[in-house]
Amino acid sequence: MKKNKSILLSAPYILWMLLFTLIPLGVMVFYAFTDPDTGAFTLGNLRDLGLFLPTLGTSVWYSLLSAIICLLLGYPVAYFIAHRGAVAQKILYMLIMLPMCMSFLLRTLAWVGLLETNGIINVILGKFGLGTVEAIGTPGAVILGMVYNYLPYMILPLYAIIVKIDSRLIEAAEDLGCNGLQVFGRVILPLSVPGILSGITMVFVPAVSTFYISQKLGGAETMLIGDIIEKQFKTSNNPNLGAALSLLLMLMVLVCTGIMNRFGNEDEEGGVVV
Amino acid sequence: MKKTNRILTILIFAFLYLPMLVLIVASFNTGKNLTVFESFTLGNYKDLFQDKDLLGLLGNSLLISILSTAIATGFGTFAAVGIHNLKPRMRKTVMSLTNIPMTNPDIVTGISLSLLFVFIGTTLLHQKESLNFWTLLIAHITFNLPYVILNVMPKLKQMDPALQDAAMDLGCTPAQSFFKVTLHEIMPGIISGAIMAFTMSLDDFVISYFVTGSGFLTLPIEIYSYTKKPMQPRVYAMFTLLFLLIFVLMVVMNLLQIRSERKKTAKQETTKSGRIFRRVCAGFCAVAIFFGAGWLIFSTRQDKVTLNVMNWGQNIADGSDETMDIIAAFEEKYPHIDVNYTTYESNESLYAKLAGGGVTVDLIIPSDYMIARLIDEDMLNPLNFDNIPNYKYVQERFKNTAYDPDNAYSVPYTWGTVGIIYNTKFVDEADVTGWELLWNEKYAGKILMFDNSRDAFGITQFLEGISINTTDTKELQQAANKLAQQNPLVRQYVMDQIYGAMEDENAWIAPYYAGDCMMMMDANENLQFYLPEEQGFNLFIDAMCVPKCSENQKEAELLINFLCEPEISGANMDYICYASPIEGARDHMDEYLAESQVIYPEDSILEKGTSYLFLPPEVNRLMDNLFMEVRISGGDTSESEEEPSALPVILTFAGLGIAAAFLFLPKKKTKRN
Amino acid sequence: MEFDGERILDGINLYFNDHEFLTLLGPSGCGKTTTLRIIGGFLTPTSGRVLFDGQCINDVPAYKRQINTVFQRYALFPHLDVYGNIAFGLKVAKLSKEEIQERVQDILAVVGLKGYEHRRIDSLSGGQQQRVAIARALVNRPKVLLLDEPLAALDLRLRKDMQNELKRIQQAMGITFIYVTHDQEEALSMSDTVVVMDKGRIQQIGKPEDIYNEPKNAFVADFIGESNILDGVMLADYKVKFFGRVFECVDKGFAPNEPVDVVIRPEDIDFVPAGEGHLVGTVTSVTFKGLNYDIIVDFRGFKWLIQTTDYHGEGETVGIRLNPEDIHIMHKSEYSGMFGDYSSYSAEYDELTEDVADEEE
Repeated sequence: MKKNKSILLSAPYILWMLLFTLIPLGVMVFYAFTDPDTGAFTLGNLRDLGLFLPTLGTSVWYSLLSAIICLLLGYPVAYFIAHRGAVAQKILYMLIMLPMCMSFLLRTLAWVGLLETNGIINVILGKFGLGTVEAIGTPGAVILGMVYNYLPYMILPLYAIIVKIDSRLIEAAEDLGCNGLQVFGRVILPLSVPGILSGITMVFVPAVSTFYISQKLGGAETMLIGDIIEKQFKTSNNPNLGAALSLLLMLMVLVCTGIMNRFGNEDEEGGVVV
Repeated sequence: MKKTNRILTILIFAFLYLPMLVLIVASFNTGKNLTVFESFTLGNYKDLFQDKDLLGLLGNSLLISILSTAIATGFGTFAAVGIHNLKPRMRKTVMSLTNIPMTNPDIVTGISLSLLFVFIGTTLLHQKESLNFWTLLIAHITFNLPYVILNVMPKLKQMDPALQDAAMDLGCTPAQSFFKVTLHEIMPGIISGAIMAFTMSLDDFVISYFVTGSGFLTLPIEIYSYTKKPMQPRVYAMFTLLFLLIFVLMVVMNLLQIRSERKKTAKQETTKSGRIFRRVCAGFCAVAIFFGAGWLIFSTRQDKVTLNVMNWGQNIADGSDETMDIIAAFEEKYPHIDVNYTTYESNESLYAKLAGGGVTVDLIIPSDYMIARLIDEDMLNPLNFDNIPNYKYVQERFKNTAYDPDNAYSVPYTWGTVGIIYNTKFVDEADVTGWELLWNEKYAGKILMFDNSRDAFGITQFLEGISINTTDTKELQQAANKLAQQNPLVRQYVMDQIYGAMEDENAWIAPYYAGDCMMMMDANENLQFYLPEEQGFNLFIDAMCVPKCSENQKEAELLINFLCEPEISGANMDYICYASPIEGARDHMDEYLAESQVIYPEDSILEKGTSYLFLPPEVNRLMDNLFMEVRISGGDTSESEEEPSALPVILTFAGLGIAAAFLFLPKKKTKRN
Repeated sequence: MEFDGERILDGINLYFNDHEFLTLLGPSGCGKTTTLRIIGGFLTPTSGRVLFDGQCINDVPAYKRQINTVFQRYALFPHLDVYGNIAFGLKVAKLSKEEIQERVQDILAVVGLKGYEHRRIDSLSGGQQQRVAIARALVNRPKVLLLDEPLAALDLRLRKDMQNELKRIQQAMGITFIYVTHDQEEALSMSDTVVVMDKGRIQQIGKPEDIYNEPKNAFVADFIGESNILDGVMLADYKVKFFGRVFECVDKGFAPNEPVDVVIRPEDIDFVPAGEGHLVGTVTSVTFKGLNYDIIVDFRGFKWLIQTTDYHGEGETVGIRLNPEDIHIMHKSEYSGMFGDYSSYSAEYDELTEDVADEEE
């Protein structure tokens, strides 16, 4: 049949994706089970992971917290945008997109300038005689950096789902005797669950693996799993341990996103980003 | 409720835009500091357009993102058509393959790709440079493809399949019908996919950071390594321009979209302007791709020899602050050589780059103990001293050193000491008694510490009276415990970031290399340098070496020779503020620096300094692990005496495995039904 | 023809004559669209041959066949205007600009869309889009035009107008139309020949009158118009027995005592006073239909539909007479006993059977 020919178009793609996504993960697993010095099979790297479990816990905790903060901040914003006129929606949407297109490194550095002991915020606080806030190096600064960087990733999917909610459903709910709060709790919120889940995933995954934010905004006590992985590759030269750590991180993320998908009625083609 | 929503939205937008506003304001600032606005200037923009390096990096970024977007868009569009026609179950499998780069953390994607490239390039093909432009391009295409596929697939799904039949019915071959009909139908998906891919690719840091070698850098990678001094304000100028560009692009796109929607509802006739606009866009893309490709061909087919130099950050005079631009002078003298200059933060990160494979470097400037390690692991080439006649200027005390006893592999570049830099405004002189200053609880949260194990251990060992070259596990553990005590007091573990923190007085006390301290003292007069001569201190030599992976050893030796000329060395030291091992160089230095006790301590003091010696790899690894442990577990290292138990790891993995099985297995079953 | 291992078409044997208006009629999923797609070249049959002017065209791809199609929901190219759509095939064939211009203008005149050349497709009404689709196919001067339920998306009034229009165009252009529909009225009023299909098989081929008056089996009888279908026994030529009574009829050629299906059209039945009728029953429901009443009458537990202009109230006892020419006899078939009982009759009966998704996917 004629369809067979166009199927062939997908073959190079499948080959490419196998070669550059699945096989690299295989290589990573291979490294994770190899001794850095002898190249022999070992479980030593996995054993060494024990040391880093608390760090993994910290990373998960921080990024979950920032995902929840993003949700709490992002939902009203998404809701607000979704209920503007068509042109206003476009403009606001664009304004949410815009920061995502700009260098996140520089934007994070700007926060360093804002939060430093002698940074802009403290200078302003000082002018009002309010003393200084030691923010850099605290978990708060790291979480703030995560929220700042990934908030748009929460707002966009939420907006996409809220804007699609049929206004007749709201009218129907009102017709059936719901007040404003009940309409929200019984109709709007349940309908936006897929957006909430994909938003949380999209904030959680990059946040749990970040190393830049914690390096710049964090301090001596806020090392994250991403930092450690980066160090294994870029300073300690222990790619095998780094691979084992990445494997752990990947499995953890896989399980977390799996749980998310479990909650929502998953789509056939998977969540489309943005 | 609505009012609070509105206020919250305004606040959130302020939150999102505040940092960008800070950067934009900083681009008009004469000062280099983000915090203090000195006066208005457009000079940063002028600087930007004269900074070939920065523009070149921007060009690299644009090149890689345009190329990868173009390839991914073409490739992905055809693939999407193919996937669309697959049987449902196969399609689902392919789509989950597509989702791998989307759902995996970037760091995992970057690492797995870099491991693959190094594995193939270095281990299997024995290439010298297995991480390069092409690996970066492949990586970008790989993470761009899903964006295209995920945007095109829904459009294909929406499309009336009869349209293709209609085209065939009217005489089109399947290929013609794709180009004449299908393509038009899925164009919005292709465009939004391409735009998304382009922005992701342009701003990508994490994946590029792991996948690129030293030969081809993009802007984000450079910005990441730009931490030593406050960022050059011209970078803010570039940010501002990019911000404006993207803003204008988005506004134009939105206006077009609004207009085309109006047109649809207004039931107007087709206008020519729409068609013309489309052609202009297509033309623009074609031109961009053409120039991109042209540039690529041009830049790879240069006749010049590219000399890859890897040096510490801020470790060569670059022409700023009325110093000599050494690299430019060298390139002027040897026009056939094009120097590609990159930096590293510590000896350890240099070693990781070299040992990780995937880079070609012709000249490196590591410290003594690292040179010993590199010699021991056969990672250096012996130098041909016929090409380095200026070796005769090297002072005798820097020859026949412990790390290179036969003078075969290295030529000294600088030497210096490690001491403490502190802020006299905040630190009581009475407390400045020795290394214990770094453990003084009075200054908790204001202390910075080395972010490399050797220097951190070294300081602790001086304090504890242990040899800095000990290989004794107990002694190392003792040092680690001492470091763990310090952990709660430490603000940050830093290398190059120390500059900003100390100069802006965000931190008050830090151990660092004398020359760098001198530079900081230049910037802030409250800073003072202190050398705990009684307890002992590290005396180090940085020397130039040619690593095994070099492809242009002769040119590297030319540069070594050039840097050994007393005038050049002296001029260089004026900028980097270290002591020169070259006879006569001191005479060419600024008098203020040449007389400085910080740079050239008296010989009687120098005798109390100790150099790091080569340590066996297992000791290095132990030190790395202990340091990591200090940083992770904070003050609590009591358990670390025993072997780490495998139990928690096994439990974690088992838990994750069971959870994964529980999550994914039954799901598949229900899907099959 | 098999599709995904399922047999869609079975034993289709069809001849198309030049200049003929032929309709494939059948319920959703009967295989009529599949047949059309095979003729159009969008599907290759798993077995069997398609002949065109005596040549086998099984392996000729769609774009090389001298056949054009008017698609269900038109499949007009949204990125082109009216002119662009109509000229599409001519441009692909690389005709000269002048010729394209001329032929497009001619065909626009035929379909009555002069002056609409540069209108966007989505600014046209359904009927106008329909005309564009027809023009786009006809401008290529095909030998055969395939029309796949082209009027399904139009409202009733427009559909009637377009039926006449299509017939007029067919006669004016003098080419073969192969028309697919599930609307029996449309099929009967437009066609020269009607092919009734079900379950991938041809049930009957014939002129519209023959199909209506002489249905070959219970399926055709039920699908074309309304029918009361009863079990009967053919005693001899012109003698049929059902409901325990022997009736005269006009059919012959059955084996003696052969069980048969007896078809009585609702509009052929005449009411008579209860005492004078061949059969006596009770009215169980009456629906006003405008032209007539649909009356359901219970004859010993078997419910008949009777269409009449006379009103009879619910519960009334009525008698009916059956004239010999009103009784149609059919051989027993797989459809026997499936149709023709109006026990569950409701006014929406017709609509319920329609609007089921088309075959494939």
